[in-house]
Amino acid sequence: MKNRNIDFSMVLALAVHDMKNSLGMLLNSLDELREESKDTLNNSSRFNTLQYEAERIHNDLVQLLGIYRLGNNNLSAHSEEHFVPDFLSEHLARHTSLLNGLGIRCSIEADTINGFFDADLLTGALNNTINNAIRYTRTQIRLTANERNGHLVIAVEDDGPGYPDNMQHTETPSFKSLDFNTGSTSLGLFFASAVAELHSEGDRTGFIKLHNSGQLGGGVFEIWLP
Amino acid sequence: MNVSNNKSGSGKNAFGALAYLVIDDFENFRLSMRHMLRSCGAENIELVANARLAVQYCTYNHVDVVLCDYNLGEGKSGQHILEELRYKKLLKRSSLFLMVTSDASREMVMGAREYQPDAYLTKPINHAMLETRLGSLITQRSALLPINREIDRENYPEAISLCIHAIPRQPRYKTWLMKTLAELYFLLGDLTHSIKVYDEVLRQRELSWARLGHSKILLTNHNYDEAIKNLRRLIAAHPDYMEAYDLLAESLERQNKPRQAQDILERATDHSPNALLRQIHLAELAEANQDMDTAVRAWRRSVALGAHSIHDSPAYHLALGNTLCDLSEGDTGTEGAQLASEAFSVLGNMEKRFSDNDSLALRAQIVQCRIYAGQEEAHKAEAVLDKIRPALGNPRALESETDLDYAKTLFRLGYGDEAKTLLNDLATQFFDNPTVLKKIENLLDEPVGFRMKVKARRLNRDGIEAFESGNLQEAASIFTKALEMIPDHPALNLNQVQVLMKEYELDTANKNLLGLCQHYLSHLAGLPEQHGQYRRYVALQRKLKALTL
Repeated sequence: MKNRNIDFSMVLALAVHDMKNSLGMLLNSLDELREESKDTLNNSSRFNTLQYEAERIHNDLVQLLGIYRLGNNNLSAHSEEHFVPDFLSEHLARHTSLLNGLGIRCSIEADTINGFFDADLLTGALNNTINNAIRYTRTQIRLTANERNGHLVIAVEDDGPGYPDNMQHTETPSFKSLDFNTGSTSLGLFFASAVAELHSEGDRTGFIKLHNSGQLGGGVFEIWLP
Repeated sequence: MNVSNNKSGSGKNAFGALAYLVIDDFENFRLSMRHMLRSCGAENIELVANARLAVQYCTYNHVDVVLCDYNLGEGKSGQHILEELRYKKLLKRSSLFLMVTSDASREMVMGAREYQPDAYLTKPINHAMLETRLGSLITQRSALLPINREIDRENYPEAISLCIHAIPRQPRYKTWLMKTLAELYFLLGDLTHSIKVYDEVLRQRELSWARLGHSKILLTNHNYDEAIKNLRRLIAAHPDYMEAYDLLAESLERQNKPRQAQDILERATDHSPNALLRQIHLAELAEANQDMDTAVRAWRRSVALGAHSIHDSPAYHLALGNTLCDLSEGDTGTEGAQLASEAFSVLGNMEKRFSDNDSLALRAQIVQCRIYAGQEEAHKAEAVLDKIRPALGNPRALESETDLDYAKTLFRLGYGDEAKTLLNDLATQFFDNPTVLKKIENLLDEPVGFRMKVKARRLNRDGIEAFESGNLQEAASIFTKALEMIPDHPALNLNQVQVLMKEYELDTANKNLLGLCQHYLSHLAGLPEQHGQYRRYVALQRKLKALTL
């Protein structure tokens, strides 16, 4: 038998790419379906689950691709100036139909400031965080943005049970700390933290912070960008 | 939800005033996009399924917002449409072009070299997303419309003063305003003000577009070392910032480092293989560097990418045929035969693709002659030559490229004298065109295939090395070998004369050496005055005369 030299990570990346595109079509159809049959579907928890889980897989796949590029040193941040309130509302718009369907209230409190960051990368990182918040929150999600210590701080808060103690730190989660037994692989946090680190200015780099001392009483995810 | 609704009051009007074009190969997607646009307040919406219809529609209708799917199946992609619309000036600067992609794939974003869309929309797209994203783009469009209108009218001074006026008033669009301001100064040739703008941005933050602009001005000011240093740092920090590679390659070329420039472009095309103009640049550089393997690869890619591009030209197909021919020359094995047959089919496809261009049949036949000759099929080569000879042979109003290529063929088939006559006539005709004269000179100096050229050049280098380390006899024998390949090469002949003169200085009894010097100098009897080696030739002639006395 000839030993075929297969680059497995490349094969995986191509497969993931394909799955992600399919899922994109699926999500599109779900949105349209909800639009067409608003009355019956908006209160259907099964439909909400369907959309939420599809969204979650989609995010996971986006992150997998991101991490693949990260591994190939093929990912770098292209910082551009963005008007932060616009960025956040554009970002949230993507989740609107699901949030409405689930009856979760959502608000944005952003200072009228400009920030420098790679919008694509940050969107990837925030998508995951918001999805996480949707999973754990009870009634509402709050997005905030302001300037602290020369950093742009974007935060996602919820009123759920909050992060467990062992997750409340600022260090970079590493692949070694990923625990498949608990079901929480922290892949999203790993990605978010990698995205934060890709943003640097002078000798300062970005980082993430998790804690439970927000206004809503649940978990707070913060990404600090220099 | 208290967010996306607060703007829709004014947004509805803004949406309604504009004309939209939706391009997507899936009917479902077109309809759903129209549905979403309508619920945002848009009224004037046209749907088309492919590039041809899109370009046709834009030719006869005014469009403010184009929503174009990147992947349109077989044929032209969204990027091709964008290029064609901008190239044919069917889209104004004040119009918006949104590329819809199934993912924000970097390769695609990086593919473009010259034309970039105003924004990317990533599928899946829902109504709320479209409304906020497009809404803020439309707001931006109307805020910047007065400036873009002046740029469309090429009234740059007015656009500049509008930018300066807007910077303190529109902090939200500061990046756009600063970038545009610097570009406008550059367009007007006011480099001092342009670089001031970039530096002001860079003082606050290291932004790649500003670093690139800064480097571009260094390059324009002939400050190559600084430009190269800046660009290398930029690429190290942002390995996927393609424009930086292009500018770095250009800087290295201007500094006369074509080999390094080629390396940079190879790295760039590894990252992003789909930019046609970059592939062409790489192909030309590799060809000039006599790196035919790379040249063939890049020309192949260029021809493939050209299939759907507005930038396609028969010149690329000819160049591919030419380099394949060079590479196959003298290789009658399987590989050579394969390259030769690929060259034939490239030329054949070119004639079919550009069937309205009459001169191409002749250009193709000129190359075909050489392919046959290189495969040792002399009869076939002669047969084609007999067919084309009547149409060629004396300088006419044809392009100089045709004559130059014909001369190359004549040399290869052993009609050196005929080639020289043709080139001399051509030189008279183009006496005031240094580019053509340089090409004629190169062809006369080294009228051989690239493999022999490369060998002769290597021998020349070895010979010089031997000469410099005092091994005169070794140097002489190396130059003799090189001169067997290209006997008329001026620099090589003169190098040989210098070696022999040095030998004579050490052994003045050996008058034989002077006779040899005379022999080599006589090779250059017809050297024209404008040739780069002419002064050296005259000087050595004079020196020989003095030694003979």
